[in-house]
Amino acid sequence: MKGADRVAAVGVGYSKTGRRSGLTSWQLAIQAAKAALADAGMTPQDLDGVALLWGVAGPAPAGLDIVEPMDFGYMLGCGPLNWYGEAGPAYIGPAIQAVAAIKSGLAHTVLTLRIIRQRMSSAEQLASEGAEPKPMLVGGDSQFTAPFGSVSPIQSIAAMPSQRHMDLFGTTEEQFGAHVIAQRNFASQNPDAIFRDPLTMEDYLNSRFISTPVRLLDCDYPVDSASAVIYTTAERAKDFKQKPVYVESASYSSTKYLTFENIDDMTQSSPFHAARELWKRSDLTPADVDTAQLYDGFTIIVFQWLEALGFCGLGESGPFVEAGHTAQGGSLPVNTDGGACNVGRRHGANFCIESIHQLRGEAGPRQVPDAKVAVWANAVGPFSGAMIMTSE
Amino acid sequence: MSTESGAPPTTGSSAASLSPPVPAPTPLTAFFWESVAKGQLSILRCQSCGNYVHYPRPICNRCLSEELAPEVVSGQATLYAHTWATQAFHPYFVDKLPYCLAVVELAEQPGLRITTNIVDTPREQVRGGMALEIVFREVAPGLTLPLFRAAA
Repeated sequence: MKGADRVAAVGVGYSKTGRRSGLTSWQLAIQAAKAALADAGMTPQDLDGVALLWGVAGPAPAGLDIVEPMDFGYMLGCGPLNWYGEAGPAYIGPAIQAVAAIKSGLAHTVLTLRIIRQRMSSAEQLASEGAEPKPMLVGGDSQFTAPFGSVSPIQSIAAMPSQRHMDLFGTTEEQFGAHVIAQRNFASQNPDAIFRDPLTMEDYLNSRFISTPVRLLDCDYPVDSASAVIYTTAERAKDFKQKPVYVESASYSSTKYLTFENIDDMTQSSPFHAARELWKRSDLTPADVDTAQLYDGFTIIVFQWLEALGFCGLGESGPFVEAGHTAQGGSLPVNTDGGACNVGRRHGANFCIESIHQLRGEAGPRQVPDAKVAVWANAVGPFSGAMIMTSE
Repeated sequence: MSTESGAPPTTGSSAASLSPPVPAPTPLTAFFWESVAKGQLSILRCQSCGNYVHYPRPICNRCLSEELAPEVVSGQATLYAHTWATQAFHPYFVDKLPYCLAVVELAEQPGLRITTNIVDTPREQVRGGMALEIVFREVAPGLTLPLFRAAA
């Protein structure tokens, strides 16, 4: 995808991020947006589009600020918007919207955001459900899963697919552990990470199971957070402060079943389709990629993306990780900010932002030498998306 | 109590904790639960091309026929994926840990799967791909579920 009509990322920013931030969704969004505008050297009057995804993890409380793209543009003092959109399943939704809007010519400069708030911990949620006087009624497709105890995404997004991956391919707990350890090593070099203490294999294997084979250390860390990335045309990108990072290719995919339990193939889900489409739209190949930032809601999602994107063969992600390829100094460093397990569940945005830091050459001790091509990916199961970014 | 410490959360019992989440059937899904209450597993089947459709939908996604009707299936299945839940995310399950949550593939059609629990089977015998047979169990007053155990 060469040429003056390329899309470039020119500004990135995060809000304060952590549990019980005390910040409203609006405050989180404003912090991230201001940070991205400052990073780009841009004012809101330079924007003509807003694409965002807002949400809480868990039931939404009454009186919660709702971040809505048109209203948010108004809050920032933007002029009339040529693009406004809300999309999921994670940060890749707003990112794809921005790329599509700019490439179509409908807008030239789009602010994207993912705003997420972790309202309740699992323990608090359990206690609040226990306080209800009547049994919980479940409609929709969940009536076929919740009565059996499928009551957390961990069980259907991660645990059952991980077990099947072990059953089919002989993947081991130690191979999952190798990924967790490698990722935490990157986090230890990231001042923005929440968890930074190095881990050993003993630490990993001693980490308690949530639902076999998924352990606490395999799970991302719910936080309040907002992340922002500003995209514009390659032509306009020259006006702003940072070295532009170019969108080389993108894909946005869904497979046929709506729930994680009933997915057509638990170990080859929509990332495989998204990856095929991604490579079709570029002359680059997996061998050209210097670093990959792959959604790590749970460890198994990283493993599936490694296979889907063709960095290793089907079923071979365990040995690939165990051999050290994804660790610092390896052939394909993965999640060089430490991933969502360590920086917090920013719901997909950190994978994009870390790609941009790497391609700008500003990742400090985590820098992959001479990084020119990065791939980032979001989500798994019924829906997913991926993007190739380049420094030139 | 916080999960950050590493200890699993617990809660006291209540009326709600005596029952798992309960299905709220609709006209489209009521057949499934009525059948289970009678000790049979029924799945919607396209009357035009024979395709089984689950989760229930008003249209066959293979031939677009809207003539779908419930048919009783054998209850034979194989284990597609499973996990042993060791943390409860709903009060009912707090004293049921560990329980085996599973997705099983019904013998009638490749890719035709339902979510269930594996019961009456020693943990070390639960293995991906194993042959299963159905058993119906009233897990709470008025709530019967289709569960699976190792095939005889």
